[in-house]
Amino acid sequence: MTASVAENIRERVARIETTPAIPAVLVPLLKVLNRPAEDVDINEVVRLVSYDNSIAAQCMRMASSPLFGLAQQPKSISSAVVSLGLHRVESILLTCCMGHAFPMKSWPLEPAAFWRHSLGCAMVCRRFSEQIGSPETEKAYTAGLLHDIGIMANCVAFPGEFALVVQRAREAQQPLFDAELSVMGFTHCETGQVLAEQWGLAPEIFQVIAFHHDVDHASAPRGLVAIVHLSDLLCRMRDLGYGYYECSKVDMIADPAWAILKQEYPELERIDLARFTFELDEAVAEISEMVRMVLGSSAS
Amino acid sequence: MTPVTQAIKPPSPVARPKEPLDPVYFQIRDLVYKVSGIYQPEEKLYLLADGCGRRMKQLGSRSPRDYWDHLTANPSRDGELRQLLNEITIGETCLFRSQAQVDALRKVILPELMADKTRQIVKKLRIWSAGCSTGEEPYTLAMVLMEESEGRLKGWQFEIAATDLNDRSVETAKAGLYGEYALRNTTDYFKRKYFVPAENGKLQVRQEVKKLVTFNRVNLQDDSKMLFMKGMDLVFCCNVLIYFDGVSKSRVIGHFFNNLNFGGYFFLGTSESLLHLNDQFHLIHFPGTIGYWKPSLSGAKP
Repeated sequence: MTASVAENIRERVARIETTPAIPAVLVPLLKVLNRPAEDVDINEVVRLVSYDNSIAAQCMRMASSPLFGLAQQPKSISSAVVSLGLHRVESILLTCCMGHAFPMKSWPLEPAAFWRHSLGCAMVCRRFSEQIGSPETEKAYTAGLLHDIGIMANCVAFPGEFALVVQRAREAQQPLFDAELSVMGFTHCETGQVLAEQWGLAPEIFQVIAFHHDVDHASAPRGLVAIVHLSDLLCRMRDLGYGYYECSKVDMIADPAWAILKQEYPELERIDLARFTFELDEAVAEISEMVRMVLGSSAS
Repeated sequence: MTPVTQAIKPPSPVARPKEPLDPVYFQIRDLVYKVSGIYQPEEKLYLLADGCGRRMKQLGSRSPRDYWDHLTANPSRDGELRQLLNEITIGETCLFRSQAQVDALRKVILPELMADKTRQIVKKLRIWSAGCSTGEEPYTLAMVLMEESEGRLKGWQFEIAATDLNDRSVETAKAGLYGEYALRNTTDYFKRKYFVPAENGKLQVRQEVKKLVTFNRVNLQDDSKMLFMKGMDLVFCCNVLIYFDGVSKSRVIGHFFNNLNFGGYFFLGTSESLLHLNDQFHLIHFPGTIGYWKPSLSGAKP
């Protein structure tokens, strides 16, 4: 990528406008997420959730989805924090904010498909890290949710070019990443990096956004990037892709990311991948339901 | 591995309008998976419950918890598990049972196998449908290959070996007569092209399709017979291994592995897994389905 292309990306991504209510919650929330757990004040999170009535109402509804673990809608935000834990409430708020962060009119990619993939990937990342015994399950969720923000950036900042990418990918039934490279010469990993810098995302989330298609080049510790890479592949093979048939196959155990992850988490070897896959299928309907909830009327 | 489903998705009022299932069914589901590799997804748990219900009636057991004892503690548990597996797999077979498998075959696997065989003089594919029951699977494969032979597989030869333990199934399969239920997934295009009308509203597989398939009675546990099934590019074995105990299952899977060419693929039923019975196969994800791959000699990635 030449310097002028990089400059062009930077300039166009900088012009992306978010919907008005979002930065007021999202920016401070991202700061909170960057902080070590012991420094986070519960009241601060409760205040963030309560900032906007419609966001708060949506968060409460999401908390009662089986995907987040409560059988009933919590009575108050504080009671949600008590029963779900602070980190999970942060995840819910982040999911909700991201669903409203950008105008989604006239995206070249169907917004519902994009969100199904992002949310699906977030769920799989969390599940994956639980199974291999990683303590940072909510961080994995965040990483999965945000790994493709470059695709949103492409939809908004490069609508014409990205429409050609989507068309090419559909016709050739190939991964979006490959179509981006051949049509635009750069990918959502580059645009995502620019957005991540602007938003001040945590360094390990930046690594995920930049290297989830190229785990070998991520800087250590690469475990989180590897989790997202594998979860992304799995989602695309199981009805949580970008809404078209991707003609490919995946050998997860032969993937370099698998070897990287195994070094950090020996538990990985005990995972029953077939069953993991069948269980993912069970969550698809619930994920679609939540996407409908998150998008509400904002997606056409 | 500990059962994990409840953590990812506890019983949900949205997904299941019926009354909540007795939690024992989750235990039964896990037991069935552990012994057979068959996974009953949550939306099909009521089918499992129905199957259990029919068995409970036969046994006169009063509650799911009581039936659980039949499946575990009772001295007849092996027999009872087999009965239950029969209940839940019954009526599963039909032509084009898994569109995802057919797509993976046509779009991903055949192009790959062809590329592997470019240097061979005789262009030939050998496929084995092991436990072919009444012929739905091998005929589906034959029709798919005939379709492909109008395009990229032009000039290729195919051999489909179809075997089953049951004599009667093999005879029924040879006749190739199917009713509405077996044809529920078959498109009009395939019906018109590869079938002729027969009596009672049934359809019969055309002679050209039959010619591609050789039916035989084979016991998968007969080691000496298994040695004669060498040189396969693809093996399909759907809902058959579930009836074997762990040791025989490992041995049969070992035969399949040995009988496959390097770079060949092995497919089970869509919700069936090899568990951890063979670590030589690589589990491969295709869109919407999984299969198992025998690594090629070059060690190249698939």
